[in-house]
Order: sequence, then C-alpha cells, then structure tokens
Amino acid sequence: MELTKNITLGVYLPGRSFIHNLDPRTKILAAAGIIVLLLFTRSYSAFALSAIFIGALVSLSGIPTGYALRGLKPMLPVLAIMWVFQLFLFKTPDATVYFHWWIFEATDAGLHMGNLIILRVLFLFTVTTFLTLTTSVVSLTDGLESLLKPLRMIGLPSQELVMTLVIALRFVLILAEELEKIIKAQMARGVAFDRGNFIQKTRKIFPVFLPLFIGAFKRAEELIVAMDARSYTGGKGRTKMKTLHMGRADFMAALILLAYGGLLIFIIISTKPMI
Amino acid sequence: MNLSVRKIVISGILGAIAILLGVTRLGFIPVPTPAGHATIMHIPVILGGVLEGPVVGLITGAIFGLFSFLQPGAPFFADPLVSIFPRLFIGVVSYLVYFLSKKAITLASRPAAEPNLEAGGSAPPPGGLQSKTVQILPYLLAGAFGSATNTVLVMSMATWRGYLPAEVSISIGVLHGVPELIVAAILTVILVQGIQRIRPSEK
Repeated sequence: MELTKNITLGVYLPGRSFIHNLDPRTKILAAAGIIVLLLFTRSYSAFALSAIFIGALVSLSGIPTGYALRGLKPMLPVLAIMWVFQLFLFKTPDATVYFHWWIFEATDAGLHMGNLIILRVLFLFTVTTFLTLTTSVVSLTDGLESLLKPLRMIGLPSQELVMTLVIALRFVLILAEELEKIIKAQMARGVAFDRGNFIQKTRKIFPVFLPLFIGAFKRAEELIVAMDARSYTGGKGRTKMKTLHMGRADFMAALILLAYGGLLIFIIISTKPMI
Repeated sequence: MNLSVRKIVISGILGAIAILLGVTRLGFIPVPTPAGHATIMHIPVILGGVLEGPVVGLITGAIFGLFSFLQPGAPFFADPLVSIFPRLFIGVVSYLVYFLSKKAITLASRPAAEPNLEAGGSAPPPGGLQSKTVQILPYLLAGAFGSATNTVLVMSMATWRGYLPAEVSISIGVLHGVPELIVAAILTVILVQGIQRIRPSEK
C-alpha cells in the first residue's frame, strides 16, 4: 500500500509554449467560456468547429495528443455503455426504427442522442484536462483568487474561499501519509482489506475512517490556533510577492477566443441540432 | 459575509479528505453492479454541515464538486452541471435535517424531563426520549438525507442533461443510493461522536 506515491493532483506538464505562458486568469476564463459554449452545442457542424479549435490549442501547447487523452482510457467502457443505453432507450414519437428486438428498438433519435452525449463528454473532458495540463495548481489558485476579487464588493469573501482550497490541496498529501500509516497499522493487526464480499469490505473501512477523521480534526484545531496566533484576518490589506500581469499574448488570446466564440454561436443558432 | 478562521480551516481539511478518498479510491465501495462503485466521498461534506453549519457544508461540497469535475470518475461528471451543482446542496441539507430533528427531539423530550426534576434528580428512565438511540437520531437522519441528496440530485441532473435514460438513472440510483445511504448514516453517527470527543467544548 503506497498511497502517497500514486497521488497526482492536477497533471501539470511544464512547458514554455504560448499556452503555458498565458496568464492563468486568461486560461481559466477561456476554459469556462469554452465549457459554457459546449453545454449549448447540439449540432455536428458546431462540434466539428470545436474539434478543429481545441485540436489547434493542443498542438500549439506542444503536449502530445496521446498524453492529453490518456485519462480517457478508463472511461471508454462506461462511455460505450452510455451510448448503447441511449441508442436503445431514447425515443421520440416520429423516430425511424433501424433495428427491433424484443422490447428494444434502435432508432435514429437514439443514435443522435448517443452521439451527442459522447461528443459532449469527450470535449468537456479534453478542455478541463487541457487546462490542468498547461496550468500548475499554484497559478490556478492565484488566478482564481484574482478573478473572484471583484465579488468582494457584494460581500463574498473571495480570499478566504481560495484559502480553503489552498488548505485542502496542501492537506491531501499530509493526510495521505497519515492514511497510509493507519492502513498499515490495521494490516499489522490482521485486517485483510482485499478479502471478503462487499459488506465485509465496507465494514473494514470503519476502523480506517475514524482515526483518519480524528487525526484530521486534531490537525485542524492546531492550524486554527496557529493562524489565530499569527493574526490571520483574511483578505484585507493582503499583498502578494508575485503579482499576475496580463500581456500582449493574453490580448491576442482574447481576440482569438472571441472570434471562435462568435463563429460557434453563429453555427449553433443557424444549424439544425442533431436531436 | 465573514468567514472565521475556524470555518476556513475545517472546510479546507474536510475538502482535503474528500479529495483523498477520491484519489486513493478508498471512497468507493465495491458494490456488485454493472455500473461499478458506490461512493462515500460525500461523507466529509455531510460532516461539515452537521459539525460546523451550512456555510462549511456548502464550501466543502464545492471543493468536492470541483475535484470530481477536474478528475471525473464517471464520464458524465465532466459536465459541471452534474458534478459541481448537486454537491452544493449535500452539506446544506444535512445541516437542516440535523438542526430540525434535534429541535424536534428537544421539544418532544421537554415534558418528559420535568417530572424527573421534581422527583429529586433521579436517574432518567431507561428508554424514552433521553436514551442514546434518540440522541444519535439527528446524526443518523442527517447522514441519510445528505447521502440521498447526492444520489437524487446527481442522477436527476444526469437524466435532465441527457446522459442517462430515466429508467437507467432510477435503477443506478436505487442500486447505489441505498448502500451509500446506509453506510453514510452509520459513518456519520460514528464519526461525529468520535470527533466531538476531541473538539474544544462547544458554545
């Protein structure tokens, strides 16, 4: 059981490409914009445009395509099952029936619905993976903090919210080490975690969860005292050693994105949706 | 709105546990169904709601949702409307169920407590509303309802967004939701009682 070795939080692949060097705020906003557009994309031609655009982004970043899509592999069987479900179970009154067996009917509506969800999932997955591949966790949280800052005016404690995220990311590794110790200690006492049916396996997680949570809460109490002792007061008057700067590249990226967004919206409005 | 240091730290650490359960796959129960695994990754969110209130429940839920969006375990979690949005409600619902059921029990047990005091501080009668079973009921209900919130909202969003046909969603919801609910309810009771022992006295 080597838990700490297998943990990858974000799969940042360092590089010096145009995409890597963009301000994290540009990348977060761009990813959010592309994701929102993808949620409304329902036609093959719009997906084709997205494929060209996202493909161009991936090649521009210098990340091997195989590497970018590696995370998809474990999902493929589930995706295939989802596609089959839609093919046989999604129905519209006027659909053409391709194939009929017992209570199952494969219709053209089901085929298009299956294609739509597969395409949408593939694209959404590629965009989020691409964001985490080209942006380190540190710059992601920095960018997020800066983007949420204006919301302070409506009373949202943006700095504090980002602080919770930073604490969460820091503590994953600390707690992973603790978890490993707990599991080893229980194994030394004769608990065989990999044996038994699912009820027996489920019962074996109870003696792991309790010490894990109690240990985590003990650390939390210590951290609260430590932060209070250093007079942590949240975002007020806080300065940064490294500040973010938008440059000419970010301006260019914004223009390209606007052109892509405009073209995609035009296609979404003017073409017939697949279902 | 102001976030105290306590709320920031507890949300962060509970969020860390939710992420940890995901990356180590410890948060998955191997239920023997074709769809694979039931999850107990939402337990930290339920605990956040019960122990620290709706705000911590909401933030922990957001961290859990964000993580399952960025590293999706099932394909449809790549859609933020399925992965992030439903998770915001788990902690809030758990808190409300805990708060309301605790209040109901306090109200119901008040008349029964009075005759005891008149009798000169005799020990409370065994059973009845003072018993340990009744005292843990709010935690049990909070765990169960929090877990049900996760199952129902995630499966409804997955159906509404068109990823799964309704029949499939309902059967996955029942096959996974019921074991998740039972484990979540029991774990909430055990964990809350364990954690309350080490926490500084509550206000």
